Amino acid sequence: MHRVSRPNLSGVLINAAALVLVLSYALPYIYLLMTSIKPAADVQQIPPSFFPAVISFENFREVLQSSTLPKAFINSLTVAVLTTALSLMVAVPAAYVATQYRRRITTFFLLFALVTRMVPSVSLGVPLFQLLKSMGLLDTLPGLVLAHTSAAVPLALLLMSAFFEGVPKELEEAARMDGCTRFEAFRKIILPIMTGGIAVTALFTFITSWNEFLYALLLTSESTKTAPIVIAEYNSVYGLAWGAMTAAAVLYSLPVIIVTLALQKQIVGGLTFGAVKG
Amino acid sequence: MAGIELRNINKIYGNSFHALHDLSFDIMDGEFMVFVGPSGCGKSTALRMIAGLETISSGELKIGDRVVNDVDPKDRDIAMVFQSYALYPHKTVRENIAFPLLMAGLPKAEIDSRVNEAARILELTTLLDRKPALLSGGQRQRVAMGRAIVRKPAAFLMDEPLSNLDAKLRVQMRAEIASLQRKLNVTTIYVTHDQVEAMTMGDRVAVMKGGVLQQVDTPQQLYARPTNIFVAAFIGSPSMNLYEAVLNGRTLTLGSNSFEIPDQVFEYRPSLNGASNRQVIVGIRPEHMNDAAIRPSSAEISAPVTLVEALGSESMVHLNIDASWVDAGDPDAVADISDEKAAVARFSPKSTVRAGDIARIAVDAEELHFFEPDTRASIW
Repeated sequence: MHRVSRPNLSGVLINAAALVLVLSYALPYIYLLMTSIKPAADVQQIPPSFFPAVISFENFREVLQSSTLPKAFINSLTVAVLTTALSLMVAVPAAYVATQYRRRITTFFLLFALVTRMVPSVSLGVPLFQLLKSMGLLDTLPGLVLAHTSAAVPLALLLMSAFFEGVPKELEEAARMDGCTRFEAFRKIILPIMTGGIAVTALFTFITSWNEFLYALLLTSESTKTAPIVIAEYNSVYGLAWGAMTAAAVLYSLPVIIVTLALQKQIVGGLTFGAVKG
Repeated sequence: MAGIELRNINKIYGNSFHALHDLSFDIMDGEFMVFVGPSGCGKSTALRMIAGLETISSGELKIGDRVVNDVDPKDRDIAMVFQSYALYPHKTVRENIAFPLLMAGLPKAEIDSRVNEAARILELTTLLDRKPALLSGGQRQRVAMGRAIVRKPAAFLMDEPLSNLDAKLRVQMRAEIASLQRKLNVTTIYVTHDQVEAMTMGDRVAVMKGGVLQQVDTPQQLYARPTNIFVAAFIGSPSMNLYEAVLNGRTLTLGSNSFEIPDQVFEYRPSLNGASNRQVIVGIRPEHMNDAAIRPSSAEISAPVTLVEALGSESMVHLNIDASWVDAGDPDAVADISDEKAAVARFSPKSTVRAGDIARIAVDAEELHFFEPDTRASIW
């Protein structure tokens, strides 16, 4: 019997719901993008227009030629890269030990890491300020890296623990039988199969540091300001520079988007991890 | 190659669970030793202690002439095949097999020639450049074997290596592993819960239960002269039928049935002589009960038939013997499909008994086993 093809109603509904969801995420960003390419005079017109009447890059020219933003970008990048490296160096081996050599103390350790994530950043900001001050690290990049690392390690630890849970213990044991020390087994066998998980953790850690605002505001002043602080300063007592602010915000979002797209394969691989059993 | 010696090996975990009790025996150079027992009997723990993956709480473990209690796994010169194969998923078959040689620092030419040789023996030559994920279960098992044999170690340890394979492949690989071991003549310890694997593969078999070694012997001896009721029931399929009985002189009373025990039984079990109303546990293997209509015997019993499983070459006849059934203490024993306390007899396929019949059963009385009701040890 010939079957009449009908539009699949549930498929249409699902796609419509997905479109609404995507737009709700994307619209503010698209509006940011549109505003950033409007001429400075059009940015604050009443009523506001969504699309620019004329495309202009003067906002980008302004922020790139300013003395503060390029330096803030370099600061942000330095801090985020160092924070990511340091966090992974701490969290990857720690998570491996905590999951593969499970004891009461390691469970407590992971739980404690989770608890530290619950404490509001602002509660930790003041003691961090005092600590870094006493160490002479206030308003220095290493100081901010340490502060960001303290915030990023628990997240990295929890993420890596979840990934390591999927690694069969026999892999390390087989490597040890094959002539590896425990550390060699970790380095030569376990780490290479965890690249997806490590990429995901690195990305989240990088974004945590890249987006971080409060510690950067509390712990830095002139020379070590990161980009979020500088972008926020476009809204000052001297006025609100919408155009420059949106252009800086667009530029600031680009590295994260590029890195995410570049690591897309590993991220999807990492998030669907669990198929290690060759 | 080397022998392995275990002397009073104990394993006590942090929570004070005593997993292995005073394990002592020798494994000879080139011998194929099988550790068998129900789950939780400590066989894998014993293997992992020999591998160095578990610490030894007390006792002495020797590989060759060297005490290795505190030697790292990598320095024990032993190779292990895991139940899950534990292949390195990011490496090709070639890299998996070459890995232990690479760690040993062998020159590349030597590694290549050894990997190719192992691949040839295990028929993996065409699969060398594949990743494990692209292999079937049997092929993965071969790669795991390849990774072990390529090293030419002093001993192989195998932890239930066939349990993830389907039944047909298991039988094939069983024969292949046994013949490979004979060819390489490397001391091998093989852990399994399957008594058929144990009996068909091992030169000797160590039967364990609850962390205690029950008996180490050749498969034939385990079958013919089990040391206790557990070994008697564990070895052989279907299991030995165990019932309480009374021996009076030469007459054995089993429920409402009585028959005479032949003289030769008293010759190799002299302590049964002169019994007067002596309570015993009697063990009858299914193959020692036949249809009396086909093969009459002087020792006959009768019992109702509850089920007949015709397998073509033989018929498994389930019987309801009216004596007290005895539990052998195997936690993994599968309850009989008709009644867990039913006896099973292995009849000739020519037998015409049907479920519901009262069958006359000829017992090979000279093949009976006798055990003490208290200690459950064999009576000799």
